[in-house]
Amino acid sequence: MLPDAGRRTAAIIRHNTILMLREPGPLAGRLILPLIFLTLLHPLYQVAQGRAAGISQAVIATLVTFSLLALSIVGGSVLTERVWHTWDRIRATAVRPAELLAGKAVPAMGALLAQQALIIGVGVAAFGLAVRALPLVVLALLAWTLALLGMGAAIGVIARSFSELTIFHDLGGMVLSSLGGALVPLAVMPAWVRHVAPASPGYWAVSALRAALGSDGPATLRASAVLAGFAVAFGLLAAVRGGRGTVRSARM
Amino acid sequence: MLAVRMQEKTTGPWNGTAGAPGPSGPSGGAGGAGMLVAEGLAKRYGGRRALDGFDLTVQPGEITGLIGHNGAGKTTFVEAVTGLIRPDAGRVSVGGVDVRRNPRAARGLLGVAPQELALYPSATVRDHLRLFAELAGLRRGAVHRAVDRVADELHLTDVLRHRAGVLSGGQRRRTQAAAALVGGAPLLLLDEPTAGADPQTRAALLAAVRARAADGAAIVYTTHYLPELADLGATLAVARSGRVIARGGQQDLIQGLPGELRIRLDGADSARRVPAALAGRTRDVDGELRITSTDPPADLATLLAAGCAPVSVDVRRPDLDDLYRALAPEVSRAA
Repeated sequence: MLPDAGRRTAAIIRHNTILMLREPGPLAGRLILPLIFLTLLHPLYQVAQGRAAGISQAVIATLVTFSLLALSIVGGSVLTERVWHTWDRIRATAVRPAELLAGKAVPAMGALLAQQALIIGVGVAAFGLAVRALPLVVLALLAWTLALLGMGAAIGVIARSFSELTIFHDLGGMVLSSLGGALVPLAVMPAWVRHVAPASPGYWAVSALRAALGSDGPATLRASAVLAGFAVAFGLLAAVRGGRGTVRSARM
Repeated sequence: MLAVRMQEKTTGPWNGTAGAPGPSGPSGGAGGAGMLVAEGLAKRYGGRRALDGFDLTVQPGEITGLIGHNGAGKTTFVEAVTGLIRPDAGRVSVGGVDVRRNPRAARGLLGVAPQELALYPSATVRDHLRLFAELAGLRRGAVHRAVDRVADELHLTDVLRHRAGVLSGGQRRRTQAAAALVGGAPLLLLDEPTAGADPQTRAALLAAVRARAADGAAIVYTTHYLPELADLGATLAVARSGRVIARGGQQDLIQGLPGELRIRLDGADSARRVPAALAGRTRDVDGELRITSTDPPADLATLLAAGCAPVSVDVRRPDLDDLYRALAPEVSRAA
């Protein structure tokens, strides 16, 4: 028998899963677009870096870039609650902020992991991506997904409108992805980019995935730990900001 | 022929004792062991005092109509009780649980229908009711029973499978109210639950509220539709400038307010005979003299003694509308 907190969280998870599946358009777009991107651009990466390194870079670029863009799924699910005034309605129940965020995070996590698994799977099945240490890859993906959830929840409680949310996940996602060396390897980027890159979660995602695909356990663990740190920091920000009383959410 | 007709807008006699408990009754003062006890709540937004010493106690089984102009502090009070805002001063407890010290336990005793619609457009009515029943701690079988009961009460059974986004305005209002009622909370905060609602929605909701009060729930009901409060037999709390300025049964509060003596006199110059003592309270509306009066029989006797010859006399008793219109200085004096 689940304790009260577990039952409440389970109820919110189920409810948010229903909401996500009832409006599948954004999710479907985030699943299909990266596969088109990967299919079209992997030859370019292979020409530039060779067959094995090229497909690895193409998969990592696609995964990191489009998972950052998928922040819209997480952020949007939080922001829509605020726009619909349901956020405060739920907060007026016995639910803890952490339960509310967990209830929103789990379905979003499923969506993000599905997106990443699809990209990796297509990379392996269609383009010959080599995955020699699956547990390391799973670890890197989980750490990156948690960081994404934290970031998504944070922008969901900070953004005051869908316009702001779009700026956060489109512009911010592309900047973090580029700074992290996902689209273009840092080695060929300007020196200043290499200096600021570690400030981007995207950098650590690329590092973790590249290390995992190269079967480098310590490097994968190190990068994953940093991603977990980002997840905690952004998650705390979201919990504090989201749990604080809002003044007349009708302002939104 | 002299015709005397009494216009009754309110329930119960003008000076009668029927109705809800008065100020000296169980809900009359703050500080009692009510289901809801708010004492000295204060909340400031910048230079504006949204709450300024707000006191209110509501007993189990009591429906309290919280009325006041926009900005009087009603919604801020509801937000303070739910813990959505933190008051700068004062305390509020629900079922003896201090909201500030143990907000989750206090919220667990609440059913809330906020002023603004708070529904998920893509979720069905059943999805909503199930969610809030489960968040209220109901288990599987109890969830289904509670959903079916409240759907039946609020005439939502036929639309349980419909998404909120396709419901009519009245159905949305009922869904919102149903979400507040479904958990069987001992304290219900219903913030203008019938705003913009059709008569069918209003009637269904009022019946459900009465049923919950009969079951022992304490209910705070904010509204601008005053006849609803008469229908509910609610006690009143009149809010102004962030505090409750009048509290008690409807008749107790109305009792001090003037009604109106409406007369038509025989003869064109008869109006000139209105004695000076009444002239200051008299206005002429299309040939009908309307005299503001707290004692219509005495004023009528004065008129007759002065030689006035009425052909018709109406007495309009003070009602909640008068109370509402008089919210500012008049009600302050009454309080």
